[in-house]
Amino acid sequence: MIYDIRHVTTYSYETPVAFSLCALRLRPTSRAGQRVIDVKIDIDPPAAKRIQRECFFGNSFEIVRIEAEHRELSVTARARIAVSRPVAPATTPSWEEVRQLAFSVEDLGPQSPAHFIYASRAITLDEPVVAYARESFPPGREILDGAVNLMERIWDDFDYDPKATLVSTPLGEAFEKKRGVCQDFAHIMIAGLRGIGLPARYVSGYLRTVPPAGQERLEGADATHAWVAVWCGPFDGWVGLDPTNKILVGDDHIILAEGRDYSDISPIDGVILSSGGQDVDVGVDVIPVASESVPLTFG
Amino acid sequence: MLGPTPGSASNAKARRLVEMTAAYRPLDGAPDEFIGADGCPRGHWLEFFDKLAGLGSDDIARRFEAIERNIREQGVSYRAYGETVDRTWPLSHMPLLISEQDWAVIEAGVMQRAEAFEGLLADLYGKGELVSEGFLPAAAVTGSADFLHPMVGIKPRGGRYLSLYAADLGRGPDGQWWVLNDRTQAPSGLGYALENRLNLSRAFQTIYRDMNVPRLAPFFQAFRAGLAELASRSEPRICLHTPGPYSETYYEQAYLARYLGFVLVEGADLVARDGLAHVRTIAGMKRADVIWRRIDADFADPLELKGGSQLGVPGLVETIRQGNVAVANALGAGVAETPALLGFMTSIAGHLLGEKLILPTIATWWCGQEAEREYVLDRLEDMAIAPAFGASTSRALLGRSVVAGELTKEQREKLANAIRERGADFVGQEVVRLSTTPVWVDNRLEPRPFVLRVYAAMGPDGKFQVMPGGFCRISDRVDSRALAMGQGVQTSDVWIAGTRPVEPTTLLPRGDTVSIRRIMGNLPSRAADNLFWLGRYIERAEATLRLIRCLTRRAIENEDMFQEGATTTQRLRKLLSDWGAVPAKLKVPLTPQGFLNAAMFNVDEYGSAVSLARASQRTASVIRERLSSDTWRIVVDLSQKLENGRVPLDEPEILELTDGALQALASISGLAQENMNRVAGWRFLEIGRRLERSVNTCRFIRAFGMEQARATDFDVLLDLIDSQITYRSRYISGVAPYPVRDMALLDPFNPRSVAFQTERLAEHIATLPVLKLDGMLEAPNRIAIEVNADLATKVAACITAEFVISVERRLMGLADAVAARYFLQGAHAAQAEKQVGLA
Repeated sequence: MIYDIRHVTTYSYETPVAFSLCALRLRPTSRAGQRVIDVKIDIDPPAAKRIQRECFFGNSFEIVRIEAEHRELSVTARARIAVSRPVAPATTPSWEEVRQLAFSVEDLGPQSPAHFIYASRAITLDEPVVAYARESFPPGREILDGAVNLMERIWDDFDYDPKATLVSTPLGEAFEKKRGVCQDFAHIMIAGLRGIGLPARYVSGYLRTVPPAGQERLEGADATHAWVAVWCGPFDGWVGLDPTNKILVGDDHIILAEGRDYSDISPIDGVILSSGGQDVDVGVDVIPVASESVPLTFG
Repeated sequence: MLGPTPGSASNAKARRLVEMTAAYRPLDGAPDEFIGADGCPRGHWLEFFDKLAGLGSDDIARRFEAIERNIREQGVSYRAYGETVDRTWPLSHMPLLISEQDWAVIEAGVMQRAEAFEGLLADLYGKGELVSEGFLPAAAVTGSADFLHPMVGIKPRGGRYLSLYAADLGRGPDGQWWVLNDRTQAPSGLGYALENRLNLSRAFQTIYRDMNVPRLAPFFQAFRAGLAELASRSEPRICLHTPGPYSETYYEQAYLARYLGFVLVEGADLVARDGLAHVRTIAGMKRADVIWRRIDADFADPLELKGGSQLGVPGLVETIRQGNVAVANALGAGVAETPALLGFMTSIAGHLLGEKLILPTIATWWCGQEAEREYVLDRLEDMAIAPAFGASTSRALLGRSVVAGELTKEQREKLANAIRERGADFVGQEVVRLSTTPVWVDNRLEPRPFVLRVYAAMGPDGKFQVMPGGFCRISDRVDSRALAMGQGVQTSDVWIAGTRPVEPTTLLPRGDTVSIRRIMGNLPSRAADNLFWLGRYIERAEATLRLIRCLTRRAIENEDMFQEGATTTQRLRKLLSDWGAVPAKLKVPLTPQGFLNAAMFNVDEYGSAVSLARASQRTASVIRERLSSDTWRIVVDLSQKLENGRVPLDEPEILELTDGALQALASISGLAQENMNRVAGWRFLEIGRRLERSVNTCRFIRAFGMEQARATDFDVLLDLIDSQITYRSRYISGVAPYPVRDMALLDPFNPRSVAFQTERLAEHIATLPVLKLDGMLEAPNRIAIEVNADLATKVAACITAEFVISVERRLMGLADAVAARYFLQGAHAAQAEKQVGLA
């Protein structure tokens, strides 16, 4: 499937901003299961300086300096991306075996599970969350079975509620409220998995906006979305699970960035010189432009 | 009459030596520094006590007192985490003595270990071969919050990760020195070690010299030169990046900046831009070549590291990546402190250096590995269990090391389960009893456990140099297992007992290698800001004290008996209320004495004398590196004097106290005039003071010198501006409005007049750096010249209240203009922004 994505972020400031230094993680990159055909990021007012980098985890990372005084900042990312993911493995190793492998792996590279088995800035391994996750992992269960079960329980037990949490709400609080948005569900699921020693990472990206005929529209379209990838051992690698929609990640999901938690992939971060408050508005369109029949080769 | 014979003197000395040492008993089962394993005292300790006994007991007591006094007067302090008040530095009166033979092993061992960690860091942030070749599991590294992914693949400027390394050592039961911890993030304690040395070497000058204790200065010289070597310019600007005055060890950071000649900066003082790092100074942005950081690395850049950090510099990582600034220790170096690594160091050192570790590490098993986990679980009761990644450990259940055998059965079972589930979060360590060292408790020697921190610095030749001495922390408990600063510990100086006379050295380089300069670089904006406010607080304190003194004198002399006098007193009280010294509206009116006590000692009112003295001290404390120690001492002394106001004082006592406090303030001015270099720092102190004085004097004139004023008011005005004597010698006829107004406002020869202040202000501001090259006056300069000219051309007969108000307003405008032009603007307003609007 090929998608055209438009992701517009607009900040409005109460008082003029003299200067702004931002880190943008808005440029999707080619990775297993997806290939970027075209991508462009426009900034208004134009930046005085832009430096394009790739971060450790393989996400794009752009440092942008705006020196013109402005009351509004708008960042528009446009991308055309082809997606074709392999189906999830039918059988996977036991979760205990994966845990043992993850802690003894001899790889410090970006794909190594070793980066994703500890608490991170936004993910604490709270005991209630870990205890919740333990129920999905009786001894000897296959890791993906356990992960799918955990995902389904989160979907059943938690309510989707954009008003319940903020981007900065600790996951323990969302866990107690049993409500939140994709970020909360992803953080909770990751905390549970890591708490029992399983490698799990945070994935941000997009969902197709218009569902195929006869299917329901998924939560998280029209905005940036987030889900979880769990490592199923060296043979099966990373498998995506979307606890907000109770589905395995397939061709409807487009990956923007991957990291340990939201703080690693936050799409726009930065410091501004201003004394007033700010408002932000985010709009996302994901339009399929070609069907599955287009022949594609993916690495 | 017969004097004492030499024989009896040496007998007395021998008796004192026995008195001092005979009752000393090491703790059961713990090794001791003074008494060896064979039960005999060690030679270098005996030599020390022998010399000490030679001083005589009165003399010893005097020297101990001198140590205490010195620490108090120097204001050596630290702050326990979470506390807001500085604590006085606890220094043991006994040094820790180490023999030359022992030291040779420690020195070689610490140097070797520093090299091993340098190699480890270069590998972890470079090729990662230690992991891929199986010397180290990846998970033993990634559990540390200080393994910073953005730093992978960035080669630090100068190619070195560690400029300063420290190891915490203890002597184990086998007599060997063991490594307990490594410090690679931002080792603290160097400055305190230096302070301890200055104090003890002064107190025991001759013993120190006779025992051939090697000096510390060459080490600091090497450290400074090593940092300078990282820069690309020959006379680099080296900054010490502090987390700020609330840091536990701010005192030592300021002290080291001053001693080493570094610029003390906070994050807001630095700017990363166009691939370079800069310091904001009063002359604009100036290049920062080397940043010695005392902040944890994750806080160093809110853009690429921990978002929202207020301590860091946005864009710093990119600047490091471009190679134009050296940050020491390299961001990410803290990962090497990880206890999980301890168990791997033997094989890592073997692989990297091809050497066996000279100093053994305390036996450590990382429970992330199956075999090690089982080993620890099997022997849990005999083990100390510690968080594997220090404070950043995911689920340690424990904040620090615990001896599992001391837990309840239930606690131990819980711990064992946690280790089974996430063993990687724990290390098991052998429980070692460390040696004790003699400390002076209640007039006798007692053994106490200690930890010795030894430092290695990267010298300019690219080799590590070990500081001959160290920072010794002594526990006040007789259990010798876990130690942390803030838990009732003392520190002590560390002396290596040498056999050869020591060459005297100081930080002085040879005269021919230094190019002469008279200006000490550009003043950072934050320092200018604080100096300005120090000037203002000191002057405001002075004005407030003068008001109180005036009021007190009137109370003593009972001047309120007549209506006129009572009105003047009311005006004085109103002014003090307006200035925030005493609340204006009180349910129960204060008695005259109560009012005076409140104005002096009420800490809840920001304008009371004590609050202003505190504000002065607080402001001075963040720029201590720029003040002489004498000035600092007086500022501390002043606020201590005014703190003693718990009991209400009577009027004569208050009078005496205000006189004393005003004298102290006068000596601060005197020191500033006589001892401070006439560079920008001094000028900002002066500008603050002159501005405050001119505004205060305007207010005095409006209260006591305008149309409604009576003779007693004019009298008070002359008192407040300290001009009684001058006035009386000039005018025999008594007080009259025009002459008094002239003296207070216009007289350029009276150092208390407003005109005198504005003249100085115009002079000072004219010398400050300008940013504009077009020759036009900048705002501060323009206002100063204008108001000064206005006063110079005014005649006394034409002074109206409106005129005084207009002068006052323009002076306030001048203060704003100075702040806007020279201080950190907007840096405080910078805030992190976060994207919201997720699905």
